[in-house]
Amino acid sequence: MIDRHKHLLTPLPQGPVFKRLLDYAKPHWKWLTIAMILLIGGTGAELIGPILIKIFIDDFLTPRVFEFQPLLLLGAGYLFLHFSAAIMNYSQLLLFQKIALKIIQKLRIDIFAKVEKLGLSFFDQFPTGGLVSRITNDTEQVKELYVSVMATFIQNIVFLVGVFIAMFYLNPQLALFCLVLLPMILTIMHLYRKFSSKYYAEMSEKLSELNARLNESIQGMTIIQLFRQERRMNREFQEINEGHHQAWYKSMKLDGLLLRPAVDFISIIALVLVLTFFGITSLNNPVEIGVLYAFVNYLDRFFEPVNQIMQRLSIFQQAMISAGRVFRLMDHDELAPQKQGTNEPIVSQGDIEFRNVTFSYDGKQDVLKNISFKVNKGETLALVGHTGSGKSSIINLLMRFYSIEQGEILIDGQPIESYTNKELREKIGLVMQDPFLFVGDVKHNIRLFDDTMTEAKVKEAAEFVHADSFISKLPKGYDHPVGERGSTFSSGQRQLLSFARTMAKAPKILVLDEATASVDTETETEIQLALEKMRKGRTTIAIAHRLSTIKNADHILVLHQGQVVEQGNHKELLKQKGLYEKMYLLQQGAEKLEESPSN
Amino acid sequence: MLRVFIDLMWYFKQEKWQYGGGIAILAVVSVLSLLPPYIVGVIVDHISMNTLTEQILWQWMLVLFVLAVMVYILRFVWRILIFGSAIRLARLLRNQLYEHFSKMTSSFFQKRRTGDLMAHSTNDIRAVEQTAGAGVLTLVDSLTMGGFVIITMAATISWELTLIALIPMPFMALATSKYGSMLHARFSKAQAAFSTLNDKVQESMSGIRVTKTFGYETEDVESFKKESDHVVKKNVEVAKVDALFDPTISLIVGMSFFLSIVFGSRYVVAGEITIGQLTSFTVYLGLLIWPMLAFGWLFNIVERGRASYDRVRNLLSVKQDIVDEPGALTKPPKGDLTFEINEFSYDQEEEPALSSIQLQITRGETLGIAGRTGSGKTTLVRSLMRDYDIQKGSIYFENRPITQYTLEAIRTTVGYVPQDHFLFSATIADNISFAKPDASYYEIIQAAELAAIHEDILQFEEGYETMVGERGVTLSGGQKQRISIARAILKDPEILVLDDSLSAVDAKTEETILQHLRDIRRGKTTLITAHRLSAIKHADQIIVMDQGTIAEHGSHDTLMDRNGWYRNMYDHQQLESLVHKGGESS
Repeated sequence: MIDRHKHLLTPLPQGPVFKRLLDYAKPHWKWLTIAMILLIGGTGAELIGPILIKIFIDDFLTPRVFEFQPLLLLGAGYLFLHFSAAIMNYSQLLLFQKIALKIIQKLRIDIFAKVEKLGLSFFDQFPTGGLVSRITNDTEQVKELYVSVMATFIQNIVFLVGVFIAMFYLNPQLALFCLVLLPMILTIMHLYRKFSSKYYAEMSEKLSELNARLNESIQGMTIIQLFRQERRMNREFQEINEGHHQAWYKSMKLDGLLLRPAVDFISIIALVLVLTFFGITSLNNPVEIGVLYAFVNYLDRFFEPVNQIMQRLSIFQQAMISAGRVFRLMDHDELAPQKQGTNEPIVSQGDIEFRNVTFSYDGKQDVLKNISFKVNKGETLALVGHTGSGKSSIINLLMRFYSIEQGEILIDGQPIESYTNKELREKIGLVMQDPFLFVGDVKHNIRLFDDTMTEAKVKEAAEFVHADSFISKLPKGYDHPVGERGSTFSSGQRQLLSFARTMAKAPKILVLDEATASVDTETETEIQLALEKMRKGRTTIAIAHRLSTIKNADHILVLHQGQVVEQGNHKELLKQKGLYEKMYLLQQGAEKLEESPSN
Repeated sequence: MLRVFIDLMWYFKQEKWQYGGGIAILAVVSVLSLLPPYIVGVIVDHISMNTLTEQILWQWMLVLFVLAVMVYILRFVWRILIFGSAIRLARLLRNQLYEHFSKMTSSFFQKRRTGDLMAHSTNDIRAVEQTAGAGVLTLVDSLTMGGFVIITMAATISWELTLIALIPMPFMALATSKYGSMLHARFSKAQAAFSTLNDKVQESMSGIRVTKTFGYETEDVESFKKESDHVVKKNVEVAKVDALFDPTISLIVGMSFFLSIVFGSRYVVAGEITIGQLTSFTVYLGLLIWPMLAFGWLFNIVERGRASYDRVRNLLSVKQDIVDEPGALTKPPKGDLTFEINEFSYDQEEEPALSSIQLQITRGETLGIAGRTGSGKTTLVRSLMRDYDIQKGSIYFENRPITQYTLEAIRTTVGYVPQDHFLFSATIADNISFAKPDASYYEIIQAAELAAIHEDILQFEEGYETMVGERGVTLSGGQKQRISIARAILKDPEILVLDDSLSAVDAKTEETILQHLRDIRRGKTTLITAHRLSAIKHADQIIVMDQGTIAEHGSHDTLMDRNGWYRNMYDHQQLESLVHKGGESS
């Protein structure tokens, strides 16, 4: 990982995170309001129940007055309230969850779209695993945040407020007295939050360490076994497992000390408070038993929401951290180079020119130094040189995966920056060294996202690159499934498929990154034939490993440490009596099978 | 349903004091929880009958307070006992699984996806832990607490009223259990949708270069949107059930309260119970909510736990493919190596992967193996590690069949550098000294020098202490290969196998490494498979594999004279490498 990306590992602070989470909720304000109204309605209806019972006890039961009609009204009212509370609560619960899910979907799409917009410079440096976990796991945590905040925090706070209102209605003095409970609860919450954030962070760190080790061990089990390190790895895993266990045990103890048992403790203290209050009052004045009943009942209900909130606190904190990481990535500014200027040129010929291009990935070390060359329509340029000589960088620049700082790249005489992304991608076809296949079927891998491409065209492209012969032998032909990374296909077959994929778009310019390792001989011939056909009539720039490609090239660029050391076509290079000539002479001795080049 | 508790009995027995103590304390807490409502009833009665004195009040309040403290402590203690045991079970199972994995051969890992194995070791173990913790708690609590409350209500107040008030309660247990299994089914679907989304993201990120090359970013985002729609849909299905819980519970509890007030007041009027008793009664009723809920939850926890525990047990019960024969030799073999493989196939139904292979390698010789992809090169060299048993024929070390040695012995003898170089997220030094963790720095550096990677390592800021892997530096394929080679060199095995492990290093470095190998491998056997024939040119024997059998066999010179595949390939590669060397002046 490079310094430019280090900050992505530290989450954004809580303040801005909270604000942005709220922003995501804003578009849903209408439904949120409805859900809130339903919530308040449902909570109210539920809380009026004990008051009705209180009225019954104090006005009817205690004085032993039983009038049929008011009693019926009271009973029917009680039942009605409960049923409507059930309906309203169901609706609001569902609504809140739905909204939370929608918000998360939006957040997910936003972060995914953002990442897709980032330049390859980002992907070349940032580990894929980390990215995937930002987009899925971290947002999943944030989902917990919305669900718990909306479903638990808001609900329970509304409920708590409702309980207090009901208590004030019954006996303001006592209710005021009960407010003493609040600081107690808040203190416990604060304590819990303080410790749990530390403990849970430790636990999740240990857990990810554990998972990482497990994952790595499963993948590298062969190595572990071959080197007979099972015992050591077992021991190390046990240590990590033990560390995780300790952290877990610690947070379990914390939960035991400050969560439910503590809240239950306070609830009994609250009961002592209420009973003492009524008891002492009753020594001098008469008290309404019904009010006492209702109070005890409310107190009973009061503590469950508190429990709920407290249990969610640790999730809440974890989720805030995850959200912080997600937003940090969303703010990352390393976009792919975009079109500049207003005119929209079109690639009609496919002439390519590099003018004094100098380039560096990190701003320190130049990987390309003052590179100039020109390739005209239909010609082939072969780039020759060893790893690190700058071949791949030339391709990265030509594909506009990176933007150039010095010099110019012209396509059909127009600077590369002036083309739209669409135009560039459509007209320049890149064939990679290690072809990537997507899960799906053969057809999908040729067509990719172009739904307008007919089956006939898919087949045509496959035939063109000689892939049809092996595809038609597959049990399901073009509908044959492709597994993860196309592992059921040989590397040669994968290459042919990627050729077909490129040819189906009929690009004007072909950029080839030839595979170094020769594949099986049968496919090899097919590949050679395909490559020759593909190059015909197209401007081709190739990182060449195959002799035929190099010999038939119109221009050859011999690169060394980012500089062109020799250039020209086969004949010119021979005349230069440099490296190329030396190489070719050596080759003459060994070469008996191949004809001397025709051009 | 509750079978999982029987399945887990071995653990409960093992931790009998913990569980016994925990359950006993839970029961005590249940009894103690009955006291507050009783005290409420007593006070209410005193108030309503005007018999309350300050002394009575303080007395009872003191009892309540002491009770609160006791319950607090006891609750903490049972958690430690029961939940503590449960998480120890998780630790135990995880260790067992890991150890089990380490005994499995590669066919086990080929049949299963890493993600699935991870899920078993995390989610499934978590579900089992829940069963052994929360499952036990809900079972005990719903039985003791529920039982005690009902008995108290029936015995101290009125059994008739108790029966009436309880009418709606079974519906609650029924409903929560029903909702629970619905929820679980839908939740699994939501999880599956999420994991599809995860796969989608994984693929998009790995294939980003292709997507960008074709300019399909927007389309890819669209297809991600579709997947995320699916996730939302499945999660809404979950929410629909999830939202049923609370309203149903409060509705049923409300009914219970209603019934007890309506009928209770009749008993009050009839003088059978006091108002205070009625108040306590409703508080008791409140105490019943939790046991009923627990009862409903119990079924869900247990259902999940059972499925998970079954999966974990299935995994643990997978037999080792390859086991040592009784009396197998533990002494690592040395000396000559003979292949006599008549037929070998990975799967009975498939075409044989190897057939008619007769090969004699004298100790100290180097064998080169060439052939195109899929010709059986890797299968042949891996058969040395006894990943699979050969159906017809065998491999002989010192004229004894491979099966007469323990796996441990064979793996000591053979050092293997695989095609797909795999490094651990550790320092470079740790990776090189993987087979010999106590190796000195001197040994590590020596191995690195022999593998021609020392200079590269020195280029890193932290040298040998540089971390590799996701959180460390990104190494090139060639660097990884060379570190893998250094790792095998440090082991200094009797038989060294390089399985196409020089493919990503340039010709010059390859030559250096091969030269070093010739020096240090004197008197020891080396097997090299390669695409690039320059890597095996100097071998004492060279075989060319084709369709699982030996097509050509001889030394470089004899094979060149034969004018066969080897000759063709060699010439061809020779040309290409010359061309290639154009820019390689370093």
